[in-house]
Amino acid sequence: MIEVRGVSKRFGTTVALDGVSMSIERGSILGFLGPNGAGKSTAMKIITTFLAADSGEVLVDGLNVADKPLAVRKKIGYLPENLPLYHDMRVHEYLSFVGESRGLRGQGLRQRLDWVVESCGIAGVYKKTIRELSKGYKQRTGLAQALIHDPEILILDEPTSGLDPLQIIGIRELILDLGRSKTIIFSTHILQEVQPITDRVAIINEGRIIADGRIPDLKKKAMVNNRVFISFDQTPDNLAGELGQISGFEALIACDAAAAPERFELRGAFGKDLVGSVSSLARSRDWSLRELQESHYSLEDTFIALTKQAANSVAESGTEVQA
Amino acid sequence: MRSTLVIFRRELAAYFNSPIAYIFIIVFLVLNAGLYMTPFFLQGQADMRSFFTNLPLFMIFFIPAISMRLWAEDKRSGTFELLMTLPIRSADVMMGKYLAALVFYIVALAGTLPIPIMLNILGNPDLGAIFSGYIAALLLGALFLSVGIWVSGMVRDQITAFILGVICCSFFFFAGQDFISMTVDGWIVGLGSFLQSAFGLIPHYQSMQRGVLLLGDIGWFVGLTTVFLILNAYWLEGRKQG
Repeated sequence: MIEVRGVSKRFGTTVALDGVSMSIERGSILGFLGPNGAGKSTAMKIITTFLAADSGEVLVDGLNVADKPLAVRKKIGYLPENLPLYHDMRVHEYLSFVGESRGLRGQGLRQRLDWVVESCGIAGVYKKTIRELSKGYKQRTGLAQALIHDPEILILDEPTSGLDPLQIIGIRELILDLGRSKTIIFSTHILQEVQPITDRVAIINEGRIIADGRIPDLKKKAMVNNRVFISFDQTPDNLAGELGQISGFEALIACDAAAAPERFELRGAFGKDLVGSVSSLARSRDWSLRELQESHYSLEDTFIALTKQAANSVAESGTEVQA
Repeated sequence: MRSTLVIFRRELAAYFNSPIAYIFIIVFLVLNAGLYMTPFFLQGQADMRSFFTNLPLFMIFFIPAISMRLWAEDKRSGTFELLMTLPIRSADVMMGKYLAALVFYIVALAGTLPIPIMLNILGNPDLGAIFSGYIAALLLGALFLSVGIWVSGMVRDQITAFILGVICCSFFFFAGQDFISMTVDGWIVGLGSFLQSAFGLIPHYQSMQRGVLLLGDIGWFVGLTTVFLILNAYWLEGRKQG
């Protein structure tokens, strides 16, 4: 549905995007992740035809955004990061204005207005001036604007920024609901927001896509070791020596020697069954275990690890060039 | 065309939704009509010559005040991104905005119509000269607005847009003054006369104000207005390259 091929963009001397490629299949939801200033918004602005790429091309439903910008814009509903609201207008005036500019008229416009007001939950503020709305309602009005023409594609730049937890859940459910029939890209720098909505993510850092795929696959890619947390009623003698016998052992670290002297983190090679080895060792030595828990790589860890890997690979290729 | 109309309606409503619009119109009318009426009873002449003579100087300040918000406000509030991702050609969006500003100006100008009506009751004015004076005022406003919308597009801040607009409009005003062109000619031979003939506003304006509607003068205003609108359209396309 959306194909981004080798897109680069620079602003003056700043490289915003550096050969970005990614693709989103029809009817799927893509979480676009990256730290602030990584290039998420720039990439979205290029897909929505607001900006032109310096090189590379973007195809939306087979249409090149550089050649057919108007046809592409018809297919896309776009919520920019800075909400595009006219503060002097009332909510219904604003939504009618956007609908009319997108070619909706009469009965068709009324039906769409009813639909977005219902699904974005803005019926209560429908007649209010936008300036008077709370941040949450402003965000929803912005979202309603992106949905007014029932687009096939939704591009949402930080749709949950500045919202409280309940509102975030509301937007999340709406995105999930819309995702059944539409292709959606949404960006965020808050990792926890992605997992409940989709497991298909692209991670961008310093203008490059450093990971693109499903979250479980990315976690595997990011994991360099296996971690297990162990705590004891009483720390056995020669613990390090005993655990050192386990196949794949890499390190034993005291979690917090002062507050919890009996808790340790065991690190081992990726792919080894550390939990199984530790539990059979504990049985044979008659240790009383309080906790034996595999530590799962969170999205944060994945993100940080992948960002580091990308930075290292850049550094390595840099030294190669020098040599 | 239809989409231009949608943009036009919103922009015009935006003018009249804000109290600034009414303040603007009142100040415009009070200053222009007041300045005209003060000597009117002393001279006792049923014409509007002094009104149209003073008008360009006022417009240097009034028109940029109308046009300063046209793009600058959208860029600051984020609606610029909405407008540029609507399925409407950017030139059509620009025309909608431009026409709204022009209509707003025409409304302000129409507020001065009681003056010719009064003249007609009190005496026997040369209605042809008054008519062509209004045509001149309309063309002058159209030109200054096209300069103003172009300037507004280049900056992010309304105050900057206003100041740059005043400077650009002053250029057209002063380039047409004889003493300026002679001074500039003294520095670089021929430059002052060239600027006066190419960009000087007053010679074209004055002949219309006296009641002479020449195609050349109208063409000068319309042509230069078109040039600035095209510059604005080019800027809208060029800004994508960032």
